[in-house]
Amino acid sequence: MKRLLFLVAALVCIVVIAGEVSIWSWRSQDAEVWKQVEQELRKMGKDIKINFMAITPTEYDAKIAVALQTGTGPDIVYSRRLPGGRTQTMIENKLYLPVDEYVDFSNFSETILKSVTYQGKKYGVPFAVQVVGIFYNKEYFDKFKLKEPETWDELVEIAKTLKKNGITPFFIPGKEAWTLTMQHAMCGVSVLGPEWIKKLIDGETDFLDPKFTDLNRRLNELKVYYQDGFLANATTDMDAAFAFGQAAMVFYGIWGYQNWRNLNPDIKVGYFMVPPLSKDRKPYAYVYMDGAITLTSNVKNLQDSIEILRFCATPKFGTIFTNITLNIPAVSGAQLPRDPLFEEVMEVYQKHASPHVYWVGSVFVTQKPSLYDDVLSPGMQEMYAGKITPEDLSKKAQEAISQWYEPLKKRLGK
Amino acid sequence: MKVKVRYVLLFIVPALVLYSLFVVYPLFDSLVLSFYSWKGVGPKNFVGLKNFKEMFFGGFSKEVFNAFFHNIYFFIVASSLELGLGFLIAFLLASKLGGAKVFRTVVYMPNMIPLVIVGFMWNLFLNPQIGLVNSFLKLVGLKSLARPWLGDPATALMSIILVNTWRHLGFYVLVILAAMLNISPDLIEAAYIDGANNWKIASKIIFPLVVPTFRTLLILLFIGSFNVFDMVYAMTGVQAGPFRRTDVLGTVFYRTAFGGLGSAYIDMGLGAAVTVFIFAIVMPLSILYVFLVERRERS
Repeated sequence: MKRLLFLVAALVCIVVIAGEVSIWSWRSQDAEVWKQVEQELRKMGKDIKINFMAITPTEYDAKIAVALQTGTGPDIVYSRRLPGGRTQTMIENKLYLPVDEYVDFSNFSETILKSVTYQGKKYGVPFAVQVVGIFYNKEYFDKFKLKEPETWDELVEIAKTLKKNGITPFFIPGKEAWTLTMQHAMCGVSVLGPEWIKKLIDGETDFLDPKFTDLNRRLNELKVYYQDGFLANATTDMDAAFAFGQAAMVFYGIWGYQNWRNLNPDIKVGYFMVPPLSKDRKPYAYVYMDGAITLTSNVKNLQDSIEILRFCATPKFGTIFTNITLNIPAVSGAQLPRDPLFEEVMEVYQKHASPHVYWVGSVFVTQKPSLYDDVLSPGMQEMYAGKITPEDLSKKAQEAISQWYEPLKKRLGK
Repeated sequence: MKVKVRYVLLFIVPALVLYSLFVVYPLFDSLVLSFYSWKGVGPKNFVGLKNFKEMFFGGFSKEVFNAFFHNIYFFIVASSLELGLGFLIAFLLASKLGGAKVFRTVVYMPNMIPLVIVGFMWNLFLNPQIGLVNSFLKLVGLKSLARPWLGDPATALMSIILVNTWRHLGFYVLVILAAMLNISPDLIEAAYIDGANNWKIASKIIFPLVVPTFRTLLILLFIGSFNVFDMVYAMTGVQAGPFRRTDVLGTVFYRTAFGGLGSAYIDMGLGAAVTVFIFAIVMPLSILYVFLVERRERS
């Protein structure tokens, strides 16, 4: 009898564990997505339990690396985009596995697939495309009869009008230096323009070009329209301040929308790309593939993990993902949320994505010192604090990147 | 009674095994790792002294020495405040003023609050728009003193040191108070009979007698100041902003070894070299501490 009971208990355990798939991510906002994916899979007759865990973004990469090496990692992880960075190292060490043979990628564009492809194989299913730009409080724009700016000077005029009327024009979370780099990069695609960035990438120009310094100067001059003490504010402060109307505009990404609406369901948010210097030039948006859902070498439940990855490559997953997070799904064919702001951002992604960039997804962040971590993050804070000039910031960029970037080294005769 | 060696070993071995496993081995492993370049995954490449060269003379040295001087600044300010205020408060408590017991608990209370909560709480208090500190300054007519404490390069590190003092002061008060209560009351009574006032008693009797305790605490503060990480991380994050103005060796190590957002180098070997540097600074003082404590106990 005892043996029989033990056998039954063991069988129950096997059945319970067999259908469980663990997923780790840096995006805590996706918890609800996986609950709905689980329900959807169940409807399809696949009894899979998803165990989703979110880890602090700053600790995520280290934790994943240690866990996967020691065999204590999950079946599936969210991976960062390629090229370079951590993901390439993880692939080279066979901790991330290729999924070409399991997943149908026909619902993804070639551009998106580039950011998960390494040596001809695809490592993961892309989940979101991010669009950054200026988000604004529509009520303030209506109240003061402001319209979306077409030039940089018009943007400054809007800020001036708002300030004159006692409204803080911009809320800047300057304590988190990455947001300042993002601000610089999103302004760069419109003010400098993709052609100029292409020249920089090709080594036909460099960071000492007066145009780059001019952008630094414009940003530095804009700080009179930021909230007092902006270098001490974090993104959580910004979310609350913007959601409750304490500031009219923010330089941010579409991923913030979900949070603003959660904080204040009545908020009416508008979006515009950073305007170029003159009306004859087209504005651009900084667009990038956020990351992918990747199979790991620690996978314990391969069959069910493959089922999940397959599902992630379908429009159905895109529909769930986008309706919960209000982020643009990487997979095409999804039913998108009927939200005017989301629709606008989606159109911007399709028609105004800058083909050349210098922040996430650019060549300038693939080695050290990187333009992102080592130059613009501390450099923008330093410039805003009045410790260095816009010229100094350009010099810092030139000095750092010319240490390793071949086209720039060649240009400078190094 | 003569104790047999095998019994001594029997009691020592479990502790020795645990100590070797969790202290000695990681220590030596870090030392070995500092001669390698390793991204945290994959093969480790032996680079000899390259990491140390990079740390002391290369591009990385600017970051390391910036942090090193912040550690020194941290030690000087934190020890002055914690020992100075600690002595003052302990003296008041030893004087058995009314409500001393309640005050002792109040002073020690911040020590019991988890550090993550301390960071969160003081981040709110120091918030430039809604923070309690600026609101209070405005309320009492000192609006000109209100500032973005953690965003201003002139005040960011000092703010962290003050919060650190607020959190740890209770411990120093208790230790100094214990030393004061250890002083024979006869000495103080005799001084009073001879006509000494409170200042004379404090400076000529109590202070000299607690100096050995101060010495020990100073060494503890030095070790603590060079190992500081958690408070900076909780208040200004891994990037130790604004523009590395609150960076200490602990945050440089974390950024370098574990990477993540805002990280600079992402190399475990280089990170291990930073820890070896910290160890080289702290170890001689630790030995001195043990020597001092032992000498005091012997005496």
